[in-house]
Amino acid sequence: MKPQGVNLDGVSDIAELVERVLQTRLSEVHALKGELARREKQGLHDFRIACKRLRYALERFEALNPALQAAAEKLALLQDALGEAHDRDVLLAILPTTMAATQRRLQSEREGCVDRAIALWAELQQSVQALDSHSI
Amino acid sequence: MKWLAKTIARERRALERARQRFIAKPNQKCLHDVRTAGRRFRSLLEDVATLAPSERLRRRVKRAAAATDAARDATIILQLLQDSVEPGEAEMARPLLEHLREQEKKATRQAWRELRRMRFT
Repeated sequence: MKPQGVNLDGVSDIAELVERVLQTRLSEVHALKGELARREKQGLHDFRIACKRLRYALERFEALNPALQAAAEKLALLQDALGEAHDRDVLLAILPTTMAATQRRLQSEREGCVDRAIALWAELQQSVQALDSHSI
Repeated sequence: MKWLAKTIARERRALERARQRFIAKPNQKCLHDVRTAGRRFRSLLEDVATLAPSERLRRRVKRAAAATDAARDATIILQLLQDSVEPGEAEMARPLLEHLREQEKKATRQAWRELRRMRFT
């Protein structure tokens, strides 16, 4: 999934740069957040990549604004949960069909990872709203 | 913007150091560090593309990441399979485990060959 370009026209100071980058990366996350409920492999992968881009931007700018750190930490946990679900999807795709018990185990773990990601996303709402309203 | 120039230079150096460590010691930890440094640097270049155009450098960083994908995938999937096989299915998993071990070695060697030729300084 290609990243959206950040419009930096007229940007002359660092605060404006931070604002534009974060709003662009946040809009990518918002555009894909519905994928969590759909729970499908490709959609979850795209959402994870969007979260990763937002997280890297937050981490890069947290030295300038320490209030961004909490959101970055929660996003890292969300990304881990989605990454673990993705790894199970990859293994399930190549697992011999004769390994039914292992397949069931991986499938169940995968659903657990997605549930964990959904719970972490719910916990992130306060930080997301603060970013949306430009209050941090 | 001074901050931006300094940040680009710092992340570029971090990637080059990680690359050199991997070349000296091509293990999973060093591979992970190259990937992380590469992703962070690429993300920065994408975020500020219109202020600091560096398309060639961004493509080189992308190539470095791609060079390490197969090794990382094999390592992670191998570990996951080892941890997840149900006791009654261990024998059925053996050919896939062997294939993944072989793939991990081959892909790590290939990543080493490709990264040895790249420079980020």
